[in-house]
Amino acid sequence: MGKRLIGVVVVGLLVAVVGSGCSSKKKGPEAGAAAGGVGEEGLGAGSSLERAKQGMQPGEEGPLKDIHYAFDSSELDEPSRVTLRDNGNWLKDHTTAKVEVEGHCDERGTVEYNLALGAKRARAAKDYLVTLGVASDHLTTISYGEELPLCHEHTEDCWQRNRRAHFVVLGE
Amino acid sequence: MNRLWIVVGVAFGAALAAGHPCRAQVRGTIFGPGSRSYPVAVSPLKNLSTNASATDLGARFATIVDRDLTLSGFFKILDRAAFIEKPDASGYTADTINFDNWSVIGALALVKGAYTVEGDNLTLEARLFDVYQRKQLAGRRYHGSVTEIRRMANKFADEILAQFTGERGPFDSRISFVSTRDAKLNEVYVMSLDEGDLQQVTKGQTINVSPSWGPDSRSLLFTSYKRHNPDLYTIDLVSGRETLLSQRPGLNLGGKWSPDGSLIAVTVEDNGNSEIVLLDRSGKLVRRLTDNWSIDVSPSWSPDGRQIAFCSNRTGGPQIYVMSTDGGEARRLSFNGNYNTSPAWAPKGDHIAYVSRLDGGFNLFTMKVDGSDVRQLTQSAGNNEDPSWAPDGRYIVFASSRTGHKKLFVTDAAGASQVQLTHGGGDDTSPAWSKWLE
Repeated sequence: MGKRLIGVVVVGLLVAVVGSGCSSKKKGPEAGAAAGGVGEEGLGAGSSLERAKQGMQPGEEGPLKDIHYAFDSSELDEPSRVTLRDNGNWLKDHTTAKVEVEGHCDERGTVEYNLALGAKRARAAKDYLVTLGVASDHLTTISYGEELPLCHEHTEDCWQRNRRAHFVVLGE
Repeated sequence: MNRLWIVVGVAFGAALAAGHPCRAQVRGTIFGPGSRSYPVAVSPLKNLSTNASATDLGARFATIVDRDLTLSGFFKILDRAAFIEKPDASGYTADTINFDNWSVIGALALVKGAYTVEGDNLTLEARLFDVYQRKQLAGRRYHGSVTEIRRMANKFADEILAQFTGERGPFDSRISFVSTRDAKLNEVYVMSLDEGDLQQVTKGQTINVSPSWGPDSRSLLFTSYKRHNPDLYTIDLVSGRETLLSQRPGLNLGGKWSPDGSLIAVTVEDNGNSEIVLLDRSGKLVRRLTDNWSIDVSPSWSPDGRQIAFCSNRTGGPQIYVMSTDGGEARRLSFNGNYNTSPAWAPKGDHIAYVSRLDGGFNLFTMKVDGSDVRQLTQSAGNNEDPSWAPDGRYIVFASSRTGHKKLFVTDAAGASQVQLTHGGGDDTSPAWSKWLE
C-alpha cells in the first residue's frame, strides 16, 4: 500500500514537471515580457481565434488534419488515432515545427463545461502525439469550447464537424 | 341566479365603458407569479415643472414600471389608452383622485404621482393606491439627476411588490451578459431590468465569456481571450479600469466572488484537466478545492459562503455536486438524467437552479439543496440555459433559444411566468443578475 502511494506521488511529480515544462511555452504574443527571460513567440494568423477576428471561417486544415470526437467525450477513436499518426509523421519530418492544438465542441451544453471539455480534447490529442515521439515542448493546447464553430446549423452532421481538435502550425 | 346575472351585467357594462373584454372584478383571486391576476393602472406622472422641457419623463416612468410589473408575473397591466383621468388635469393624492374613473376600467391598484425638473435635477414622487378602498398604500419621493429616472421607476416597482407580496421586488438591479449583437464574437454588456441603460463593457473583439458580479455590484469578473489565453479579468464599471486577476496557462474560467467579497472561486486548468480553486482578491491561490481527473467547472457559492455547488463529470456525464469551501469530499446532488450543469445557488439558500438535458433539449430545473424536490421550470421550448437568481430569490434570468436567436428571459422560481427580457439581433447568453444597487 505504501509503495503504491509513493508510486502515485512519483507519477504525480513527473506529470507536474512535464506539465509545467510545456505550460511555460504556452504564452500569448504579449506574455514574453511579463514572464521575464522567456522568449516571445509570435502567433501566425492561422489560429481559429485570429481567423474569426478577421471574419474568416475558423481553422482551415493545413498540413495537419482535424480529428473528431463523440458527444461529451475526449476519447480518441480509431479514425482519430490514424489521423494523429499521419499528423505525427509530418511533425517528425518537421522537427522544428511548433503546433498549437485547439480543442473545440459542438453548441450543446454549457459554455463553461464545453471549455473544459475542449481543454481535455486538446490535451488527449497532444498526449497521443507525444506517445508517438513528437516533442512535448513543441505542442501547446488551447480550448475554444463551443465559441468557434465551423458549421452553424443545428444538425448532428454539423455538430460532428464542430467536435474537433484542430492543429495550427505556429512556425517552423 | 338573479344576483349572478347582475354581477355579470355590471362587469359587462364596465368592460364596455373601458373598451375591454369582459373581466370580473373579484377580490381574492389567486395571486402569485404567473397568475397575472391583479389589475394595475400606472398613470403617467403629472409634470409640475415650470419649463416646458422633459415632458416625456412622466410617461417614461410609467412605461418602466409597467414593464417591471409585467416581468413580476403578478399583475395585469391595464392599457394606458383606456385611462379616463388625464395626469395633467387631475390630482395624485387620495383626496384628489376620482377613484370611480379607475374602478370603472377595472383597476384594483393605481400608481399616480408628479415630478419637477430644474436644470438636470429631477424630483419625483410616486404613490400607490388601493382603488377599492380609496386609500394610499405607499408613497415615495426621489431626488436625482434626470438620467436616474430609470432607477426611480425600478425602485418604485420594488416598493409595489413589497406592498402586495410582503417582499421587496428585484428590479433596482442590473443584468450582465454576453452578446453577439454588435460583433461576431461575444462581448460583455450590462443593462437595467427594462433593457435600458445598455453599456458595452468589453470592446476586445475577442472571445469573452461568463461575466459575474462583484460583491458591490459595481464591477464584473469575466474571462477573455485578449492575450490568446482564457484569462480572468475584473473591470470596474464606473471607472472602466480593468485588472488581470488570473493568467494561469489554460483555463481561468467562470470566476465567482464569495458573498463576503474576500475570495474568488474559479476553474483553472491542470494539464488539460479543469479544477476549481479559491483565489484571493489579488488572484493568488488560497486553496485547491477539487482534485481528480474529471471536469470540474461552474462553481456557485452558498449564500453563507461555506459551500460551493459545481458541475463535475467524475461519474461519467456532468452532474451537480456540492462541497465545503474548506475542502473535503464532494456530495452528488443531481441523479435525474445524464447531463446536469450550471448550478446556481439561490440567495435565500434553499434551492439550486440548474440545467438538465432531457430528450435532446436543455431545460431549467430547481432542486432543494439536498437534491430533493426536483422541479422543471421550462418545457422544451428551445434550449433554456444559464440560470442566475434575482437578489430577492424569487426570479431567475436565463438564456433561451425559443424565439430562434438566444435571448434572455425572466421566470419566477416556479416557472409559471416567463417573460422575454432582451430583443433584437444576435445571441444574448450567460446572464448574471446583480444584487440590489445601493
